[in-house]
Amino acid sequence: MDQVGTQEKLPFSRAVQISIRSMKIRLGRSIVTLSGIVLGIAFLMSNLVSQLILDAVKEEREHRQTVGLMQAVFHSEVGSIAEKQITAVVYGEMKAAEKMFLDNLGGLTSGQIQIIRQGAALPETSDVMIVLGQDPRAAHSLAQLTAGLPDKLVLDALGTRDYSGDTPVDVRRELFFSEQTAERRAELAKERKEATFRTIWIVIISVFVTMISVSNALLMSVTERFREIGTMKCLGALSSFIRTLFLIESSLLGAAGSAVGVLIGILLPMVIYGFTYNFGVIAGSMDYPLLGLCAVVAVIIGTVLSVAAAIYPARVAANMVPADALRSTV
Amino acid sequence: MTTQTETVDQIFDAASSSRHSGFVIRSVDIRRVYQMGDSETHALRGVTLDIERGEYMSIMGPSGSGKSTFFNMIGGLDKPTAGKVYIDQVDIAQLDPYELAWLRCRKVGYIFQSFNLIQVMSCLENVMLPMSFAGLDSEKARDKAMDILDKVGLGDRALHKPQEMSGGQQQRVAIARSLANSPDILLADEPTGNLDLRTGEEIIELFVKLRDDLGVTIITATHDLKMLRASDRVVWIDDGLITKVTTPDEMNIEISEIH
Ligand SMILES: Nc1ncnc2c1ncn2[C@@H]1O[C@H](COP(=O)(O)OP(=O)(O)OP(=O)(O)O)[C@@H](O)[C@H]1O
Ligand SMILES: [Mg+2]
Repeated sequence: MDQVGTQEKLPFSRAVQISIRSMKIRLGRSIVTLSGIVLGIAFLMSNLVSQLILDAVKEEREHRQTVGLMQAVFHSEVGSIAEKQITAVVYGEMKAAEKMFLDNLGGLTSGQIQIIRQGAALPETSDVMIVLGQDPRAAHSLAQLTAGLPDKLVLDALGTRDYSGDTPVDVRRELFFSEQTAERRAELAKERKEATFRTIWIVIISVFVTMISVSNALLMSVTERFREIGTMKCLGALSSFIRTLFLIESSLLGAAGSAVGVLIGILLPMVIYGFTYNFGVIAGSMDYPLLGLCAVVAVIIGTVLSVAAAIYPARVAANMVPADALRSTV
Repeated sequence: MTTQTETVDQIFDAASSSRHSGFVIRSVDIRRVYQMGDSETHALRGVTLDIERGEYMSIMGPSGSGKSTFFNMIGGLDKPTAGKVYIDQVDIAQLDPYELAWLRCRKVGYIFQSFNLIQVMSCLENVMLPMSFAGLDSEKARDKAMDILDKVGLGDRALHKPQEMSGGQQQRVAIARSLANSPDILLADEPTGNLDLRTGEEIIELFVKLRDDLGVTIITATHDLKMLRASDRVVWIDDGLITKVTTPDEMNIEISEIH
């Protein structure tokens, strides 16, 4: 052991052990740091979830409006549907509102409604003919569709639908709901654009606030330990060991804090908006895959921010001359 | 710690037996300039000093004369602006970070003027820390740390945090920590400054025993007369320069002359 030896690197498991012990020792301080992370991520997540809820509620409301309109037209044209045989021909995929309309109708008239997909044969006779789906190319001609109908009326959900063959003069084709005028369409597009812009803006602001909150929490917890880092270096800790220590500590704190923050950020807006709107509506029309994606992204953001915010000052402190690190007071 | 000094050998393992004579530390014309904005402080202005193995040396000097700065230089905690420091004939400026860490961990024990205990850790954990850096497993480290704490009279306080302790007790924890890895060299910056007469004497006794039995080289900064008397040499520093080197006997004469 004469002359000078080489300091061995401590195994990673030992570093994990030491950093967990160090977090336990300063439990109170760890909780303060943790709540900084929780707060930041909860803020980000609750903003994201609020947007998701508002989108879901808005979409739900639009559907209901459309369905209401469809039902109104249907009733004014058809009147009472008692005893009537209804045929619904579906071309392509139906919009959510069309499905909802059909469901409502089906609930009222079980057995009275017959749904015909694209290629299937039409029934011999029926009293009411409705055409749904978003495919503009109809497989049948209007003459075929109205062959078994007494009043030659077709209720169509798509104004731009192109029927094959000639249109007989006695056939009346009515639209289910008023087509949007070009002005209204432009207005809606503008609204949607504004909403998207607002969402992006809120997300950017949230990410910034989260960044500041999380990095502040971690920065404080590291800089107040500069002296401690200096002491550890004087006692023979390697710089790499100190970096490892803070890497472990900050990633554990970051992941745990983000997970809790995500949970709070989901539950809080759910409860608050749940009172204003309706839990069922929110739960039913929520975009769950997008919610999951947001949660994962928020946890990653929280963890990466924590590690970045801790590792930079820890690296600076670890590379300092021990005598200087000892003197620094924060 | 009154009756326990005979077990010092047990704390210090066989590693210390391989010491041989010669200069353990040599400083050659070391200078240290602190740059603070536009102003410069010349804390050391060219200090050349050879310290023998197993020597007990005291450093005297007024406040701000550069004692702590000198300790930082010869302990490998700071780099001189100019000049060289050799520990065991090795120029420490040539050491890589791993060797420097090894040196700080095992070769040198530090007792800092401001203790530098880790506030959130208990005394026991503070003393165990250098041992864990040396790779000692927790069980062994705990036993050894308890032994050393007993030695400085703090066995019953091992689980207290530094804030809960008096200045003198904290100083003794700092002393215990410096002995954690059985160092060859002990750098003690005013180790008895906060201790009462009795405890101070016990620490001096411990130092003398470490030197006599184990050949530990001890360098202290102190104003404590008892400590100066126990040492082999007294080095006087003023304004970053060594003004004289005396033996305690010569110093006694000077002090009696003053009085
Ligand atoms: N990190 C530093 N930055 C700037 N100046 C410093 C620094 N460390 C020490 N000094 C200056 O260097 C000089 C010597 O300081 P040092 O701490 O070595 O004195 P000292 O002899 O230990 O004093 P004391 O007996 O009060 O502990 C002082 O003038 C001090 O102001
Ligand atoms: Mg000093």
